[in-house]
Amino acid sequence: MGIRNYLNRGSQTKDELVSERLCAKFGELHMVTLADMPMRRRVDVCGEIRRMSVKPRAGISAVEVEISDGTGEITVIFSGRERIPGIGHNRGLIVSGVAHFEGKRRVMLNPAYRLLPSPGQ
Amino acid sequence: MAPTTKDNRTGFARLKGRLVGNPIANTEDAHHRLKKLVALPVFASDAISSTAYATEEILIVFLTMAAVGLAAFDNLVPIAIMVVILLAIVVNSYRQTIHAYPHGGGSYIVAKDNLGKYPSLVSGASMLVDYILTVAVSVAGGVAAIVSAFNGLAPYRVALCIAFIFLVTFANLRGVRESGALFAPPTYLYILSLAALILVGLYRVYFQDLGPIPHTGEVERELLEGQKALTLFYFLKAFSSGAVALTGIEAVADGVPAFEKPEARNASQTLMLMAVILGTSFFGLSVLAQQLQPLKDEEGKIRDTVLAQLAEQVYGGRNIFFFITQFATFGILILAANTAYADFPRLSSVIAKDSFLPRQLANRGDRLVFSNGIIALGVAASVLVVAFGGIVNALIPLYAVGVFTGFTISQTGMFVRLVRLKEKSWLLKAFFTGVGALTTLAVALTVVTVKFTDGAWIPAVVIPTMIFIFTFINRHYVRVREFLKVVEQVVPPFRTHFVVVLVGSVNAGVVQAVKYAQSLNPDRLLALSIVGSNEESDELQRTWAQSFPNVALDTTVDDYRNLTEKVLTEIERLDGLQSDDIVTVVIPEFVTSLRSQWLHNQSALAIKARLLFRPNTVVTSIPIVIP
Repeated sequence: MGIRNYLNRGSQTKDELVSERLCAKFGELHMVTLADMPMRRRVDVCGEIRRMSVKPRAGISAVEVEISDGTGEITVIFSGRERIPGIGHNRGLIVSGVAHFEGKRRVMLNPAYRLLPSPGQ
Repeated sequence: MAPTTKDNRTGFARLKGRLVGNPIANTEDAHHRLKKLVALPVFASDAISSTAYATEEILIVFLTMAAVGLAAFDNLVPIAIMVVILLAIVVNSYRQTIHAYPHGGGSYIVAKDNLGKYPSLVSGASMLVDYILTVAVSVAGGVAAIVSAFNGLAPYRVALCIAFIFLVTFANLRGVRESGALFAPPTYLYILSLAALILVGLYRVYFQDLGPIPHTGEVERELLEGQKALTLFYFLKAFSSGAVALTGIEAVADGVPAFEKPEARNASQTLMLMAVILGTSFFGLSVLAQQLQPLKDEEGKIRDTVLAQLAEQVYGGRNIFFFITQFATFGILILAANTAYADFPRLSSVIAKDSFLPRQLANRGDRLVFSNGIIALGVAASVLVVAFGGIVNALIPLYAVGVFTGFTISQTGMFVRLVRLKEKSWLLKAFFTGVGALTTLAVALTVVTVKFTDGAWIPAVVIPTMIFIFTFINRHYVRVREFLKVVEQVVPPFRTHFVVVLVGSVNAGVVQAVKYAQSLNPDRLLALSIVGSNEESDELQRTWAQSFPNVALDTTVDDYRNLTEKVLTEIERLDGLQSDDIVTVVIPEFVTSLRSQWLHNQSALAIKARLLFRPNTVVTSIPIVIP
C-alpha cells in the first residue's frame, strides 16, 4: 500500500484490474505462468476462461476458449465439440498439453483439463 | 397545379420554412440582388447613423475636456471640413477598390492581394470585430436613446437590446431583399428628417434671424464660461471624435456582390450617393450647431441629445416635427446594425473560404444568405450586450481603432496595387490613395493615443488573439489538405477484410445482419457477443449453432458492465490478431418511430460514435425498421 497506490486507484484500466485479480487468484497455485510458458513442450498451466468461441474448424465445429492467468493468454481448442459441460465464462481451468503458435496466438490443441471449483461453489 | 410529392422534410425544416420562408434556388440569385435604392439604406444606415452623434462627440471634447467655452462653436466647422475631406479621400479609395475587387471582401481582399497574409488577417480581424461592435453599439445606442425618452423602460434595457438584435438577425435570415425592404423606410425617414432639420434650420437662421438656444441651467452656464485656450491635443481629439462619422463607409466595398448587375457600377454609385448624403448632412449639422450653440456634457447632466436640442429650437418647441426627428433617430441608430448584417456574413464567408475560419461560415442557407454568419453575428453581439449590461460606450473607441486600421490597410493595399499595375493616370490616383492612407493612419494613431485609457488598448489584445485563432484554424485545414492529397500509386493500407457482426441474441435483425455480412465475402467473419452470464452464453451458443452453423461466434463476459468499452477492446484484440486488416463492424439496429425510440437502449449509437474515430474501421448499421 502507501500513498502512491492510493493515488493510482481509479486510474487503472479495466484490463489492469482484471490481470491484478487473476494474478492474485492463480498466483497461489504456484504453477508455470502463461508469460513464462515454454512452447512445444508438455506443460501444465492454469487460467480463467475469458472468451469462448464456437467455430467451424475444418468442417467440424470446435470449442475455443481463451484462458488467462493475469500474466498472459492462451487459446485452448477442443475440436469436434460443440459444448463441454462445465466449461463456461469465468471458470478456472488447469490444462496440460503442448502449446504452439498459430498466427500471433498461442494455441493448445485438445489438452487434458481439470476444472477448478467455481467461486460460487 | 404542380404534382405534390412526399414531404421529406423534418419537423424542424418545416418550422424553419414557416419562419424564414421557402428556400430560394441558386438560379434565382440574380433576382435576390439589391436595387440601388434598397441597397442604399442597407449599406448606408451605419455610416449615416453616425451623423446622429458625431457632432455631439466633437462638442463634448471641446466643452467638457478642453473647456474652451464659446470658442468650441468656431472650431466645429473647420473640423467638419477636415472630416469631409477625409471622407472624400477614403470614398475615392473605396471606389477604386470596388472596381478592382468586384467580388467583395473589401479591405481583407485588398490586403490579401497586395500586402500578404498578415496584413489581410489584421484587417479581417479588425473588420469582423468592428461589425460585431457595430451591432452591439448601435443597438445599445438606439435603446439608450429610447430609454432616456421613456424613463420607465430603463430596467428592460438589456432585454430590449436582445429583442432588437433578434429582430434584425431574424429579418436578415429571411434574405437580403426582405430585410432591405423592411428596414429601408426608417432609414429614408431619418435622411428626410435630417435634411428637413438642416434646411429649415439654416433658412430660419439666415433669413429669420433665429438666435442661439437660450441656456439657463447651472451646468450649461459653466460649460459656456470655459476660457481655456485650445491646445493641439484637444483639437486632434475632437477631430478623431468627429472622424467616427466615417465608420461604416467601408460597408459598400465589402458587400459588392449583393448588388444588382452590373455590381461594381451600382455599388460605386451607391457609395457616392451615401458619401454625398453623409458629407452634406454632417457639414450642414455642424454649421447649424455653430449657429444654434447646443450644449452637451460628458456625464450626461444635459439629458437631451444635440440633435434633439437643435430640433426643438428649429421647430420652435416639442411639436410633431420634433418627435418625428426623434423617432427617426432611434430607428437609424438601431438599424445601423443592419449594415453589419449585410457585411459580416459575407466577409466571414470570404475568410472561411481561405480556410481561416470554420467552413460552416461559407455555407449559404435556404434564403441565399450566409445564415451561419448571420447567426454568429447575432450571438456575438448579444453576448457583448449582456456582458456589458447594455451600456457599451466603453467599446466605441475600440470600434474607431478597428475602422481606421481597416481604412489604412485597405488604402495601403490599393496604393501598392496602383504602383504595381501602373494603369492610366495611376500617379494621380496613387497620390490621393497614399495621402488617404497616411491620413487614416494618423487618425488611427491619434485615436489610440488620445483614447488609450478609454479602451483603445483593447484592440492590441483582441486583434492578435483573433489572428492566433485564424492561424490555428488554418493550420488544421492545411494539415487535412496535405493528408488527403492524392499521390501517385496509392497503396491501400489493408489487404484482407475482417467482418464482425455484433450480436445480442438470435433474432430477425441478426439474421439479416449475418446474411449481409456474408454477402461482403470477407476473409474472416465472426459474430461477437458480450454476454452477462454463462446461462445467457449457453443459450446463445445453442440457438446460434442451429441458425448459423458456419459462422463462428465469440462470446465474452463483460466484468464491468460497460458494453461500449468492452466492444471496443474486443475489436481491438481481434483486429490485432492479423495485420493488413480492414475491419467492418456490422451492427443490427432497431429503428422505431421517434415516439418510442427512447424505449430502446441506444448502445448501437454509442458504439458507432466511438468506432468513428478508429482507423481502418468501417461501421455498417443494419436498420430493422419497426413501423
